[in-house]
Amino acid sequence: MISQFFVLSQRGDNIVFRDYRGEVQKGSTETFFRKVKFWKEDGQEEAQAPPVFNVDGVNYFHVKVAGLLFVATTRVNVSPSLVLELLQRIARVIKDYLGVLSEDSLRKNFVLVYELLDEVIDFGYVQTTSTEVLKSYIFNEPIAVDAARLPPLGPAAIFMQGSKRMPGTAVTKSVIANEPAGRKREEIFVDIIEKISVTFSSSGYILTSEIDGTIQMKSYLSGNPEIRVALNEELNIGRGGRSLYDYRSSSGSGAVTLDDCNFHESVRLDSFDMDRTLTLVPPDGEFPVMNYRMTQEFRPPFRVNALIEEAGNLKAEVIIKVRAEFSSSITANTIVVQMPLPKYTSRATFELEPGAVGQAADFREVSKKLEWSLKKIVGGSENTLRAKLTFSQESHGNITKESGPVSMTFTIPMYNASGLQVKYLQIAKKSSSYNPYRWVRYVTQANSYVARL
Amino acid sequence: MTVGKDVSSLFTDVVNCMQTENLELKKLVYLYLINYAKSQPDLAILAVNTFVKDSQDPNPLIRALAVRTMGCIRVDKITEYLCDPLQRCLKDDDPYVRKTAAICVAKLYDINAELVEDRGFLESLKDLISDNNPMVVANAVAALAEIQENSSRPIFEITSHTLSKLLTALNECTEWGQVFILDALSKYKAADAREAENIVERVTPRLQHANCAVVLSAVKMILQQMELITSTDVVRNLCKKMAPPLVTLLSAEPEIQYVALRNINLIVQRRPTILAHEIKVFFCKYNDPIYVKMEKLEIMIKLASDRNIDQVLLEFKEYATEVDVDFVRKAVRAIGRCAIKLERAAERCISVLLELIKIKVNYVVQEAIIVIKDIFRRYPNTYESIIATLCESLDTLDEPEAKASMIWIIGEYAERIDNADELLESFLEGFPEEPPQVQLQLLTATVKLFLKKPTEGPQQMIQVVLNNATVETDNPDLRDRAYIYWRLLSTDPEAAKDVVLAEKPVITDDSNQLDPSLLDELLANIATLSSVYHKPPDAFVTRVKTTVQRTEDDDYPDGSESAESSAHVGDVITSPQASSSSVPAAARQADPAPAPAPVPDLLGDLMGLDNNAIVPVDQPSEPAGPPLPVLLPASTGQGLQISAQLIRRDGQIFYSLLFENNSPVALDGFMIQFNKNSFGLAAAGPLQVPQMQPGTSAGTLLPMVLFQNLSTGPPNALLQVAVKNSQQPVWYFNDKISLLAFFTEDGKMERANFLETWRSLPDSNEVSKDFPGAVVSNVETILDRMAASNLFFIAKRKHANQDVFYFSAKIPRGIPFLIELTLVVGVPGVKCAIKTPSPEMAPLFFEALETILKS
Repeated sequence: MISQFFVLSQRGDNIVFRDYRGEVQKGSTETFFRKVKFWKEDGQEEAQAPPVFNVDGVNYFHVKVAGLLFVATTRVNVSPSLVLELLQRIARVIKDYLGVLSEDSLRKNFVLVYELLDEVIDFGYVQTTSTEVLKSYIFNEPIAVDAARLPPLGPAAIFMQGSKRMPGTAVTKSVIANEPAGRKREEIFVDIIEKISVTFSSSGYILTSEIDGTIQMKSYLSGNPEIRVALNEELNIGRGGRSLYDYRSSSGSGAVTLDDCNFHESVRLDSFDMDRTLTLVPPDGEFPVMNYRMTQEFRPPFRVNALIEEAGNLKAEVIIKVRAEFSSSITANTIVVQMPLPKYTSRATFELEPGAVGQAADFREVSKKLEWSLKKIVGGSENTLRAKLTFSQESHGNITKESGPVSMTFTIPMYNASGLQVKYLQIAKKSSSYNPYRWVRYVTQANSYVARL
Repeated sequence: MTVGKDVSSLFTDVVNCMQTENLELKKLVYLYLINYAKSQPDLAILAVNTFVKDSQDPNPLIRALAVRTMGCIRVDKITEYLCDPLQRCLKDDDPYVRKTAAICVAKLYDINAELVEDRGFLESLKDLISDNNPMVVANAVAALAEIQENSSRPIFEITSHTLSKLLTALNECTEWGQVFILDALSKYKAADAREAENIVERVTPRLQHANCAVVLSAVKMILQQMELITSTDVVRNLCKKMAPPLVTLLSAEPEIQYVALRNINLIVQRRPTILAHEIKVFFCKYNDPIYVKMEKLEIMIKLASDRNIDQVLLEFKEYATEVDVDFVRKAVRAIGRCAIKLERAAERCISVLLELIKIKVNYVVQEAIIVIKDIFRRYPNTYESIIATLCESLDTLDEPEAKASMIWIIGEYAERIDNADELLESFLEGFPEEPPQVQLQLLTATVKLFLKKPTEGPQQMIQVVLNNATVETDNPDLRDRAYIYWRLLSTDPEAAKDVVLAEKPVITDDSNQLDPSLLDELLANIATLSSVYHKPPDAFVTRVKTTVQRTEDDDYPDGSESAESSAHVGDVITSPQASSSSVPAAARQADPAPAPAPVPDLLGDLMGLDNNAIVPVDQPSEPAGPPLPVLLPASTGQGLQISAQLIRRDGQIFYSLLFENNSPVALDGFMIQFNKNSFGLAAAGPLQVPQMQPGTSAGTLLPMVLFQNLSTGPPNALLQVAVKNSQQPVWYFNDKISLLAFFTEDGKMERANFLETWRSLPDSNEVSKDFPGAVVSNVETILDRMAASNLFFIAKRKHANQDVFYFSAKIPRGIPFLIELTLVVGVPGVKCAIKTPSPEMAPLFFEALETILKS
């Protein structure tokens, strides 16, 4: 069980503080913040504080959500995964209620937040983190903050970046608050969010590839109707004892093989083994219906080639090529390519392709990194960056070893790498005129997308 | 209020609002009361009536709210009135009220345990385990588990009946309730393999849960039951089932990943096969936080095998050229550890290391040299051909460990390095300025060189070194070692050769570095903090017992600064031994933080013992009884005399110290540090000695903790202590650990229990010893003395003309001693036989016993 829960801003200001057991002294917030800010171990230079540590007999847990530090303390030997998971959930519940999670919204709604905290935790024991269950105990109403001024949060936020696919306010509105008109809009969002990790060897082979996916749901349907989600029929779970090294044999047939998956507790799997459908009554709030993991080979959306070569005395040339290997009807956005350069690089000049729009390249002096950002890349296209480097000293003879690897971040809406699909989304409701909005959205993001030199 | 402003002056006004019908307002008033009732206990009574009334409100929310809030107010007058409403609410029709009441019993127990027992709340709570609402069951289980933890009596024991009830409830509980139940059930010991299999079967579906806490608690439960399952098929099958969920944990947020990795680290030490094929998932992502990367490396080393080593090496090589210095160092070290672990891969590892050295990045080279030294020790006479390459980097070395390693290599292979004498000579100039670690290696290396090449150059060098290391130094280790060499060389050079150039034992892989018994304990604590710190719970759990009054926060001085500087003294002591990379990385990772502030109630429950009263540590009290043994005579300590002894008082171990300042100057800034020892004794707080004017003395009781810095090897009584002050050099002295200070107050056994334990221990665990000189002239006194040392009398019987006495005792970690004393009153000669699960402790025990018999 936990002793205290608190939320700190990035500057260490106390935004929310609730003591459940009075076992830990009040100064814990400062002790914690000082420790996290100046984490040191074994005399190493600044390191990042691990999520769990002990100072003077008090155990501190923390997670960072939306730039805020969610912290819990305890004196006993609790389950750390429980506490960390709880912190994430509290953040999610608060976001469900407030619509946006930010210092501003927390301060404006502190009465509601404390009311929530009292129902979520009693005497340090978690009671519930289900927005649905909480609804019957919570009486305060959220005070809306201006969402437009705030940076969007979470993976789903990318849908709001100017694209006209859906109403922008939907994902930042509270599950509790009614529309100003007094009538709720009937809609349900299902997001298939995939984070992909790929490591290319220097010769362009794929060394490792992995997809971490989530089917996320957020329902604004009244009356909590039952929902059926159908996935690919040819969906296999478990690699069936085959070793990691020969999974190639399974690809190509259109079948999707997941290594492992797990489900939200509201999901009923009665017919999952039969026809790969999930049945559930979605609780209020945003929640993951299903998490999955896949190492089956897939076609990476980008091929990255990078080359660094010496070009005379104290000079070198870098060429980075990025080829988009997806259909031309799809566009990736907010692409950033980074490459660490040798420590003794003093200057870099760039040469973008003629006619390149929305591209910028920069040399970060302090971290000695080359950074190339592209607003968008259309499927099938290829982009190249050339850079000329100047060194302040002679290299030790192997500049390839002293630079790289090239890493890449990107977001591709309406694309998914695994091939997992929501075939249909069925909402059970008697009336024939009832036809709520259904949004099924796919998005793929880079997790660790790396090409070695 | 919530931002820290004191608004307690509004108390009466706020209480007046309490009777409102508005639920939002009521909640706020209650929140206010929780915060301020304690500071206004007299006014708090005003609220009682409303509380009691609310607890009978038709609205279940208000009933629950009243009980919940009353339980949070730690004011006696409120508590008195809590009992009746609580009794009602435990039997309420509404599950929301019942589940709130269940937690409230735990709150009440925290305030007044007796009241809970007297009013029969425990029974009501146990009834709730059979409640039809899973939320209520989960809270009842949580409350009972907490009460059990704080009680010495068996309150909540899981029988096979409760087990099956709870397993059924498991399926319907919320995710959090599932964790409570799984954690409570993990204490259950199945009767046989079949029962274990049944339990596992019902827990396995939890592995599919989206909540990581549920998954890890289920893993813990399965691992525990697996120990009982004999069928290898079942075990293999279970391993297969656990692997994917464990790997999936690594897709969660980095914070969860970290916890999962620390746990996986333990699991693969016990069952390496589970994840043997999954090494790829532990490859580092470039955007992993550093704490995740470090843990992944650790696991990669553990999973590295002849089959995957090529892949692994490729990764390590890549990491070794990354930006983060700490990560790079660890990656280089990892390559070395793989070389030591996998003989067939050693050559490939070395060629990777050589490649890295060629890049000439300073810290990579240094780290590589450190690991190559270990590789030479592991595979003597195999890879010396690379020495020449290493020597090229000599000038760039500036870290002590790397320097010491390089010097060791030069000394060890002096005969194969043509210019070994020149190389060593280049270091000699700076000898006095080098850190002790390097000085020691230089000394040894020069002696080796001289023995291998007894020519003129080395002879001159050795004289310089010996002179420097004996006359010019303050470091006793260095001086002692130098004198030994000196005498050896001057009396018998051949013998010196035998000693100095003796064949060294081959070192082994240290990647599974946890002690088996510690690993057992940690595995039993999977999915708890213990498994993240890799420390047993009693090493860091400091929860204050309910009986101890809490002090206000202002009373907590900041003890961290002095703790840090005293740790520095420790570095000096341990560094000579730590020249090889033997410090377990895990131990380093886990912050050595639990040096609690020197406040009595913080230290209260460090060892999990019952302590009714606590000795204030900041009040230097003269220890009663015989004078303390002198450990550092004034003649050695430049006038400072230190006497000390471990003592036990009120259930806690203290180091009783007496300082006498016979020097001409005032001494202050005292600090103390203990070297690794068999019991892991360490100071629980900074040493508190006031400034000492010449001619004065000061005594202090330093609270101690156990299992902090354990040394390996069979237990021995040696306790090496270093004391430092601002005016003098560091003083080192040895003390003997006496078990007398360790016997715990709860060592008394019931007769039946004693007999059963005696029978259950095999005869090989029995050790006996005669004390021919000891005479017992009065049975009463000896029994009193034994009892005073927590050796509890069980029974007595006559055997021929001899009296046979039985005693029981216990030392921390619950190791019992069963003692049989055979003697004839008034006749010299006492025979003692003991039985214990840890017979290696017997010599220490007999020493302690002898002290009692002879005193």
